[in-house]
Amino acid sequence: MKKKIILSILALIVLVIIGVWFFVIYAPTTSWYWGNRNIAREKGITVTATAISQAYTNNEDSANKLYLNKAIQVTGETSEVKKTEDGKLTVTLKGADAFSGVYCTLKDSTASVQNGATVTLKGICTGHLSDVVIIDAIIVK
Amino acid sequence: MKKVLLVAVAFVGFTAVHAQKIYATKSAQVKFFSSTKAEDIEATNSQAESKLSDKGPLMFSLLIKGFRFENELMQEHFNEKDYMNSDQYPKSEFKGTITNVATVNFTKDGAYPVVAEGNLTIRGVTQKVTAKGTLTVAGGKVSTKSVFKIKAKDFGLTGKLITGTISEELEITVTAKYD
Repeated sequence: MKKKIILSILALIVLVIIGVWFFVIYAPTTSWYWGNRNIAREKGITVTATAISQAYTNNEDSANKLYLNKAIQVTGETSEVKKTEDGKLTVTLKGADAFSGVYCTLKDSTASVQNGATVTLKGICTGHLSDVVIIDAIIVK
Repeated sequence: MKKVLLVAVAFVGFTAVHAQKIYATKSAQVKFFSSTKAEDIEATNSQAESKLSDKGPLMFSLLIKGFRFENELMQEHFNEKDYMNSDQYPKSEFKGTITNVATVNFTKDGAYPVVAEGNLTIRGVTQKVTAKGTLTVAGGKVSTKSVFKIKAKDFGLTGKLITGTISEELEITVTAKYD
């Protein structure tokens, strides 16, 4: 009888621990918890602009397996800061070579980014055209 | 004398090749619109790349995961295996030419009606398409706009996801403002 009580208490504790971990620690890092995807809450894969552009020029398929549709926190030197014709702010980070960089479109078009500065941005990687493309980006640093 | 002629011919040839001007942008907009009795669905991609030569060649490429929907659930469905399958086919591309490019004067402001013909690849399926549009020259800046329709089933987009929520015909609007 006693054994049963102890066992059920133990089971309860384990359940509570799993529950706390799931709802307090794990779930807030996922997009479904917040309904719409919220980049600011996602941890993001940390990578340099040089490394991610190199990965895509080396092998697009394997780079897609690592980065496609993931939140990417990318650090690099800005080579171009530009407003597009439809008013979006875009930042190009220097990549591994002169032909392929990281082309980021920022969520907040009023943000200010210095040309030539080293910045860290976090956004969703949608793949690679002539640059690695990152959209819905926010400024981390 | 022959040598001079050869050099002259080479020179003319050289300048002719280099006289081609390429207009490019990385922020062309591609929108699609589908209308059924149940609902209208619209999504926009603002990071399409496009290159246009004043000799006629025209290309667009874009990433499927870059389409943004108002309804995020719809966006997820759109990217799923039985619809766009964007994990396997992350890109879509158009490669073609403006067939009546001779009627466009790239140095004179104006709105020129143009026709583009070429191959459109969606979800790994390539189809010939023809699209009418307008090429605008304003103060040295070139932009293009085209609205055309494609049939979903031409690109292998079938199944219950399509017939229920997305119409058979999709209207595509392409806007490119070249640098």
